[in-house]
Amino acid sequence: MSGLARRHPAGPVRGGLPTGRAGFAALVAAYAVLVGLCLTTLVAAGDLGFGRNPWDNLLKTVADFARPSALDVWFGPERLEYRSDDGTVLRVENRREVEAHFLAAVARATWVTFQVATLGSLLAALMALPLAMLVARNLRAPRALAWTAKGVLDVSRAVHTLVFGLVLVGIVGLGPTAGVLAIALHSMGSYGKLFAESIESLDMAAVDAVRATGAGEVQVFFHGVWPSVLPQFVSHHLYVWEFNIRDSTILGLIGAGGLGLLISEAVSLFQWSRLATLLIVVVTLVMAFDALSRRIREALL
Amino acid sequence: MSAAVRLEDVRVVIGGRLLLDVPRLTIEPGERVAIVGPNGAGKSTLLRLIGALIETHQGRVEVLGRRLGPGGDMADRRALRRDTGLLLQGLHLVPRLTARENVLIGGLARLRGAQAVRSWCRWYPQDLAAEADDALAALGLADRGGTRADRLSGGERQKVALARLQLQCPRLLLADEPTSALDPSATRTVCHALCAVAAAPGRTLLTVVHDLELLALLATRVVGMAEGRVRWDRPPGELTPGLLQALYERHAAGKTPASPSEPAPAIRLASA
Repeated sequence: MSGLARRHPAGPVRGGLPTGRAGFAALVAAYAVLVGLCLTTLVAAGDLGFGRNPWDNLLKTVADFARPSALDVWFGPERLEYRSDDGTVLRVENRREVEAHFLAAVARATWVTFQVATLGSLLAALMALPLAMLVARNLRAPRALAWTAKGVLDVSRAVHTLVFGLVLVGIVGLGPTAGVLAIALHSMGSYGKLFAESIESLDMAAVDAVRATGAGEVQVFFHGVWPSVLPQFVSHHLYVWEFNIRDSTILGLIGAGGLGLLISEAVSLFQWSRLATLLIVVVTLVMAFDALSRRIREALL
Repeated sequence: MSAAVRLEDVRVVIGGRLLLDVPRLTIEPGERVAIVGPNGAGKSTLLRLIGALIETHQGRVEVLGRRLGPGGDMADRRALRRDTGLLLQGLHLVPRLTARENVLIGGLARLRGAQAVRSWCRWYPQDLAAEADDALAALGLADRGGTRADRLSGGERQKVALARLQLQCPRLLLADEPTSALDPSATRTVCHALCAVAAAPGRTLLTVVHDLELLALLATRVVGMAEGRVRWDRPPGELTPGLLQALYERHAAGKTPASPSEPAPAIRLASA
């Protein structure tokens, strides 16, 4: 087929949507109208504002964040006295010791977060693999099965991890189990889509060449399909895993274990310096894993 | 003994265009046939038809005594695939396997029982592995066996595909311009290897070539094609320059000039 046959002059309609240059202009116009609508309705309702004194609040928050609580382990006062208004000593605290305890709790929670993300991702990948093989169009699974699998993946992708988590905490109770299952159920959708796409992007000419030698179907799979698809699967796995490490730091908010619980505590008690410590840990964890997984993915290419 | 290839009243129409119209063509076992002709003459279509990569809706195609077409026993079809060796432009090596593993793919169909199961984890019997190394060495690729196929040059890939064919030991060999991407010395190597694969008694070789100097080497019979039809069919000794020129010029003077960059017909039509 020549390229000429596929090129559309401006304006024809395909599948109910306009294509070509005019179509794109219409798309941009529709988008502008949508953004305008959002903005004007928010302003009209008086909901678009920055509060009473945003600058003072900003400076105060920045000042609190600028002194992460972890520093107290080394530089904090060894004897901090809490006094009532008339001067009687209520409580004496060794800040260094208290913050050291908190840091140990952070380390434990970080490990739980990592456990939840790791096990959840692996479970999700295992569940998604057969579904992806049904969904991939070039493997020609029976139509009914393919649609069912696609439906399952779409639903699992559409429901947020936190929503799965809330439901699961009610079923299996508080703790990391709910976190692992929540991550698995949501990521299954992402894995399924990514896996199916890499199966569909397979070089079928190479697969046909293996089949043309008279090899059996299983041999064709292990020599033509598997070697091409495996590195992509590993790369997708690292990518979603990394995403889940970010995601599972939040899961503690709903009682599913890990750093999120400490974050929600720090926020509720307005302990911004502790929140700063926690955010430093989260950012470091995510960046470290990101760097590692990028290295591995590059090596796999 | 039945013919290696027999075509009767075959017409192939794809996208409303008549690509092939062959009332009768028979190739006997042991023959070496070269097909020549201008672009768009239907040479590649003929090869793909015989290789069971495209189907005809009209006429009868018989390869190695079996009639091609839908239906039939799966094992039977696989046996035919094993006996038909393809060296076509659209059939690739598996990019992430090494050159050696790609060569070994040619031997997969020979493995039985436990050996076949072990081949799933790329664990091959020693004699097969040795055969693969020999085939690579014979083509001057002894030190490239461990290189991944997607890191090989175009000429090296062609040689690896040929080595794979050598392990397959097919009774009928179909090669579409096997030397089109090669320099002169590689062309000679590949042609000699191709002849070596087809040398055993009863082996049939069917090639499409543009390089007319190779005809003497590769063919005992030359078929001239134009516009989907067979124009003439004779031994290379009876070939005259005028005959060939007429074949190519008829096309050049034709009333519908083919587009200069005409893409090869889609190879994946009925392969699955």
